Amino acid sequence: MESPTTHTLIWVVATVIFIAVSSLAIGHLARWVARLSGKTLAFQERTFAGYAFAAPWLTGFALFVIGPAFFSIYWSFTKYGLPNPPEWVGPANYQRLLTDSAFRVSLLNSLYMTVFGVPAQLVVGLGLAMLLNQAIRGVRVFRMVFYLPVILAGNAAMLLTWRLMLSPNNGVINSILGFLSNAFLPFQWVMQLGIYVTEISNAAFAGLQRGNMTILENTIANGFPAADRLPLWYQSPLWSKPSLVLVGAWSAGMMMVVFLAALKNVPQTMYEAAEVDGASPLQRFRHITLPLIAHATFYNLIIGIIATLQIFEQAYILTRDGGPAQSTYFVAYYLWRATFRFNEVGYGAAMSWVLLLIILIITLVQFRLANRWVYYETK
Amino acid sequence: MKAINQVNTQESAGEQRMMRGNDVPLRARFRRISQRLMLYLVVLSGSLLMIFPLFWMVSTSIKTIEEANGPTIVWWPAQPQFESYSQLIVDPLWRQYLINSVFVTTLAVAGTLISVAIVAYSLSRVEWPGRNIVFFLLLSTLMIPPQTTLVPQYVLFYNLGWINTFNPIVIPGFFAGGASFVFLLRQFMRSIPRDLDEAAMMDGANHLTIWWRVIVPMCTPVLATIAIFLFVANWNAFQIPLIYLQRTSLYTLPIAINNLYNPQQVSQPWPLIMAASVLATIPLMVGFVVAQRYVFSSIVQTGMR
Repeated sequence: MESPTTHTLIWVVATVIFIAVSSLAIGHLARWVARLSGKTLAFQERTFAGYAFAAPWLTGFALFVIGPAFFSIYWSFTKYGLPNPPEWVGPANYQRLLTDSAFRVSLLNSLYMTVFGVPAQLVVGLGLAMLLNQAIRGVRVFRMVFYLPVILAGNAAMLLTWRLMLSPNNGVINSILGFLSNAFLPFQWVMQLGIYVTEISNAAFAGLQRGNMTILENTIANGFPAADRLPLWYQSPLWSKPSLVLVGAWSAGMMMVVFLAALKNVPQTMYEAAEVDGASPLQRFRHITLPLIAHATFYNLIIGIIATLQIFEQAYILTRDGGPAQSTYFVAYYLWRATFRFNEVGYGAAMSWVLLLIILIITLVQFRLANRWVYYETK
Repeated sequence: MKAINQVNTQESAGEQRMMRGNDVPLRARFRRISQRLMLYLVVLSGSLLMIFPLFWMVSTSIKTIEEANGPTIVWWPAQPQFESYSQLIVDPLWRQYLINSVFVTTLAVAGTLISVAIVAYSLSRVEWPGRNIVFFLLLSTLMIPPQTTLVPQYVLFYNLGWINTFNPIVIPGFFAGGASFVFLLRQFMRSIPRDLDEAAMMDGANHLTIWWRVIVPMCTPVLATIAIFLFVANWNAFQIPLIYLQRTSLYTLPIAINNLYNPQQVSQPWPLIMAASVLATIPLMVGFVVAQRYVFSSIVQTGMR
């Protein structure tokens, strides 16, 4: 038995040969079609080169996206657990999705993350960008430091570090919060209020999500949090999603870089003119900065939503298997769980199609709405 | 655009210098200084927040298990313990995980980088019928989260007998996986003057020669950016390895680190987990520091239209 690395190296060589051959074949085919339709020799050459160079992506698209997608339409109407062959069941999988409460919970949790997590990232990203847009010494170093979480956040190492830090009993974050609230009374009041608002709103969300309001009633019955209360983070269903929002905001560096570029393009003269006219800093931000960086906001929003719909590692590693009480089941996580943990390929295929449809609708709506608030400079 | 910005900053810097002159009243000067102080305070505390998890990772990795799990916070252990590190370094299994991670990442980055450069050339420097349709298709795949093709791809790789091999992680990259990188590179290649390849064409060079000799060398900064992004993505990759690598000897570092956490236990081997995390994070940090000067300028180019 060959070693796994040798095995893969052999396959890599085979893949390269396959790509080279198929590229030439696709190029020749395209040139042949061009010649048949009586195009000039130069046109034929360009057709050959264009298709031959695009061929790796074209074959990949056919092999790994379109082909499998085509089959998965069929599988979505079957009961399919590998290694057994698929068994036709009609639209049963789609009917099951409608009644699957875990799927509904995951969809709504993902919605929660797009409604709260993405704006939190936008705000932090814009805030950091505006800081870096000031004339400060060592701006390159700060930019690097602010961006650093982006490259770390995806790794299991960092997600476990967050789990360690967010531990409700002896985690470092709660220790700092406890210390601060003992030291400054105003901080304690703000934190009590923050805990109260977070728990009530998340309980209301969880109640609506499950159509059962006892969790909200219990939270209200508990009353205003005591002075020594601290956030419960991943231990409580009311805190698990806010924990992930926090980690997301920490790694908003990608958005920051895009915002920073947009801020640099806002003409300085506009601010000066507004200052002369007596506009306050807030007014200048509201009426000059925000409209002129709207295209960056839109880009970040789209990218942020697409990234949020892919949340998997956070649910798997940080909150350990979508817990507690399914409160961090997200669509990508539940898709993985249904398909790979319970080997239900047919059900997973149906879910993939429903997800794709939902994402397409969201994206279309976003682009429609964008016309109303995104202002493009005409150059 | 860049030149204009520089002029702007120079102007405002000059203005500040003028304001600092002696004719400015003392109170305004005091206000300006305190504003600067506030700004630096905010930026510095923001940086601290950003770095803190990394600090905590390092500090926990040299604690004892009791210190890491105890009720009192130990900021930095009085007696640093390096046992977790030595335990990992002598373990042949962990050496295997490291080799696996390096192997998979190297191949995936190399394959994707080369194929992306080939496809971007076709989409930017050759005029061919159907190019706009292909480009549109490519862009539309940006909107599709990879999870939606996860299930059908799994069946494909299952039928190829690729479960418990590195192939599903490495091979798809060779087909220009990563539409956003193709897009980024295409944008950059479009900005290279056409005269260059026309001159080469006159000398009888074919497209492959032009691609390799003219275009690729000019794209080095963007290629470096794409390389670091690919490196980060592949080094951090979790879900795909989790699905396809079910045998312990095949694990990559992120999977192995996650498996150190034992949900059945109350007290976790945090120093060990964090030591492994530090070791897995070092290559990321090094790669980022080396490539960061390319990274920011290139993100800006993709971010904007």
